[in-house]
Amino acid sequence: MAIELNSQRMENIPITKIGVIGLPNSGKTQVYNYLTGTYNVVANSLLTTIEYKKTLCEIDGHACEITDTPGLHELYVQSHEEASTREYILSENPDIIIMCMDSTRLKQSLNLAIDLLELGKPLIIALNALDETNRRGIWLDSKKLLHFLRVPVIETIALNGQGIDELKEALFKTRGIKFEFQYDQTIEDGITQIMDRLPANIQNQRKIATLVLMNDSYILDYLIRVNEISQTDIEEINTCVKKTQQNFPGNINRVINTRRSQWVDDIANEVIQKQNIRPYEVEKTIARLCRKPSTGIPILLLIVYIMYLAVVNLANVLASWMDETLWVPISNVINSFISPGFFNDFLIGDYGILSLGLANAFITVLPILSVFFIIYNTLEDIGYIPNLCILTKRLFEKVGLSGASVMPLVLGFGCKTMATLTTKSLTSKRERYIAIYLIAFAIPCAAQMGLNISILGRMGFQAFAITFFVLSIAEISAGMILNLLLKREEKGDFIQELPPIRLPVPKAVLVKTYYRLIWFLEEALPVFIYAAVAMFILDKTGLLMASKIFLSPVIEGWLGLPLEMVDALILCMARHEAAAGLIIKLIQQDMLNWVQCIVAVTITTMFIPCFANIVAMAKELGVFKTIIMTICINASAFFLAGCLNWALILIF
Amino acid sequence: MIKATEKEEYLEKLWNMKENNADDINQLTSAMNSDSNSSVIQEMLVENLIIINNDKVAFTDTGEEKARKIIRAHRLAERLIFDALGGDYESGACEFEHIVNSELVDSICILLGHPRECPHGRPIPEGDCCKSAVKTAECAVMPLTEMEPQQSSRVAYVNGYQKESRLNKIDDLQIRSGVMIRMEQKKPAIVIQCEGADIALDDNVASDIYVWKECTRYRSKFEDSDIKAPDCVPPKRFGFMRRARFGRKACNQGCNNG
Repeated sequence: MAIELNSQRMENIPITKIGVIGLPNSGKTQVYNYLTGTYNVVANSLLTTIEYKKTLCEIDGHACEITDTPGLHELYVQSHEEASTREYILSENPDIIIMCMDSTRLKQSLNLAIDLLELGKPLIIALNALDETNRRGIWLDSKKLLHFLRVPVIETIALNGQGIDELKEALFKTRGIKFEFQYDQTIEDGITQIMDRLPANIQNQRKIATLVLMNDSYILDYLIRVNEISQTDIEEINTCVKKTQQNFPGNINRVINTRRSQWVDDIANEVIQKQNIRPYEVEKTIARLCRKPSTGIPILLLIVYIMYLAVVNLANVLASWMDETLWVPISNVINSFISPGFFNDFLIGDYGILSLGLANAFITVLPILSVFFIIYNTLEDIGYIPNLCILTKRLFEKVGLSGASVMPLVLGFGCKTMATLTTKSLTSKRERYIAIYLIAFAIPCAAQMGLNISILGRMGFQAFAITFFVLSIAEISAGMILNLLLKREEKGDFIQELPPIRLPVPKAVLVKTYYRLIWFLEEALPVFIYAAVAMFILDKTGLLMASKIFLSPVIEGWLGLPLEMVDALILCMARHEAAAGLIIKLIQQDMLNWVQCIVAVTITTMFIPCFANIVAMAKELGVFKTIIMTICINASAFFLAGCLNWALILIF
Repeated sequence: MIKATEKEEYLEKLWNMKENNADDINQLTSAMNSDSNSSVIQEMLVENLIIINNDKVAFTDTGEEKARKIIRAHRLAERLIFDALGGDYESGACEFEHIVNSELVDSICILLGHPRECPHGRPIPEGDCCKSAVKTAECAVMPLTEMEPQQSSRVAYVNGYQKESRLNKIDDLQIRSGVMIRMEQKKPAIVIQCEGADIALDDNVASDIYVWKECTRYRSKFEDSDIKAPDCVPPKRFGFMRRARFGRKACNQGCNNG
């Protein structure tokens, strides 16, 4: 009843739609988090938000639906992801737009501001990253900006939440203004002609007509899909466009863009004040050192080594301490109450829901992940990871990938699912295919990386080095083979913005780590427990033993692993982290030696990608291709791990 | 006798029509809107510059060659006036095309580093100098790829006819005529700084972006802004012309600051 009442009440209350829009990496999600009181991952990187998120909340007594959007450069879009953000703006019609203006990139931001102003919607500007601009010796006069744009301009520092209260206060006072560029008469005529052919009920007609005239590749598709314009109308519009382009001496896009840039330059010249002496920018030097091969590779190796040391010396110690102080007493208590038998097995046996489910998640995996995530999140907030794509570009180019697809691959070290979704930004189909395959194949995601280090750390640094060397060789050769197999296409252009190097804020890193761990538990804990139950049933019914006997030629013969690894591989299908816990247990029971440990980690890293990743792949490629890809990945995983096993036995 | 310039205007218009895949004689005459339409066309036919077939008009080889020269002169002139002098390119260029000879046009082309298109974005027909890619000391621009790390310079123009999406992407990032950019590093990929953002580019994209040599300097303690550029004369203030008249002395004094 209460729920019904609530929903009825919600229907009666007018909901204000608010869209947060801005350039990539301009702090949209940070502002969104402050406004809604929720948490979404924020990082000093592009492509952090790839799908828009909505939250209902209350601001200033109004019910609001706030939407966080992926980054956008202008309404004239180049890629599929930008097109989806534009579609949100054009079709969902937010009542108020909050624009995050990155003050370090004022001109780029103003270029987007023109588009948002032209929509005539109430607009409010959050002038972000002012502290950073000041550090670069640049001052912005926000009053002058207000004077030129005629919409509220609020100075904010999203990192620590400064200015958010003022933003909330001003939010409902802002009004839409009329803002239009007048172009040459020929262009104006063309725009009017196209507007006449658009259905009368759609909004932002002038903007849409201008986009059509500029030959935007996604706008006609949008008109057909969303506004259901008939084919004949589209043809008429196309003839209009052609005629205008013929009548106009020159390139219409150029003329419109020049007009816009003049406006941007005029404002920027008034607003920006630079000091004469340029401050020495440590960040720039660091970024350069990270990107140059001669210094970048040692830095990368150093970072990996630090990660290794931290996980081995901190996380592993923490995990074993928790095991002793928490798990041992609990299992003792259970043992004293329940005598060995079915229920004892069900709770704390080899496949018990407490031992393989809860303890595995909380006591084995969680400490390792928390230490690893702190390091990874720090790197992410520094902005190191996107800069890696410059360092590794040459390598990936040899594999047949253009520079543009290196970014998704590098992001794969964070979360493979997200990285798979970012391949949307690649124009070439072939590159997308290669990138998606390589992401799913031998790249360990952040959680897997942490656990791999923890497992291999027990065997010494050499094991770790060998495994990652083998994984990178596998990755590179997979890329080379795909490169030979797939038909050649024209390479996409590589024009990539890089985030600035920033000093990470400890609080932000800790908050992010906290949320990542909570999300891990929310997502993985049920999976861990279900998997434990499933394993328990398989074990009790004898199916597990049967499958072990069936698989023994492959596992024992080819891979040289103990039969218990079958458990790990089955768990791998549910969740990679669960398998890692089992491998650690096998090591503790001395059932895996040095070579076996390397083979086990290699195969679990390459074996079937996690479920979320498969779903993302299906979304990008279609079900059929995904199935083929998964089979290929698994087959090559078994093949390569077996080869590795024999090679290691021969060498050592 | 019809003036030569009038015929040249016709040839120019026809070339523009051809670029838009139009060849209707009526479109040509109505576009010119002149009283002496028929007589000009007649004379052009006599001089074997064009042929008309069923209201379709086409160039003869001689006509095409002539039109090509005119268009080349016109668009190069626009480029020169737009980039170097920052002026209203249309009015000047129209007079220009009828005066200059082809040697002069070639030297402008070399000076500007063989630009591929006019400020409107239309292609500039290639001359002999472009085919042999003549590079002489007078060349005032260079592709971004030739900049040294830590150098700053001002963008002269961006080539990119028929690469609309690339051009728009570059434009989104505010890389366009007149902005200062700084080369951060060249290997493994080119990274430049432009308007506060670090941007990584492929070599093939970077080679389409041309910068002024005169503005190139190493990073000094001065910020590379429009205001703080006492050592770099912005092309808009006829800096280019002054240099042409007084030699490179005036420029060198300022440029070698770093």
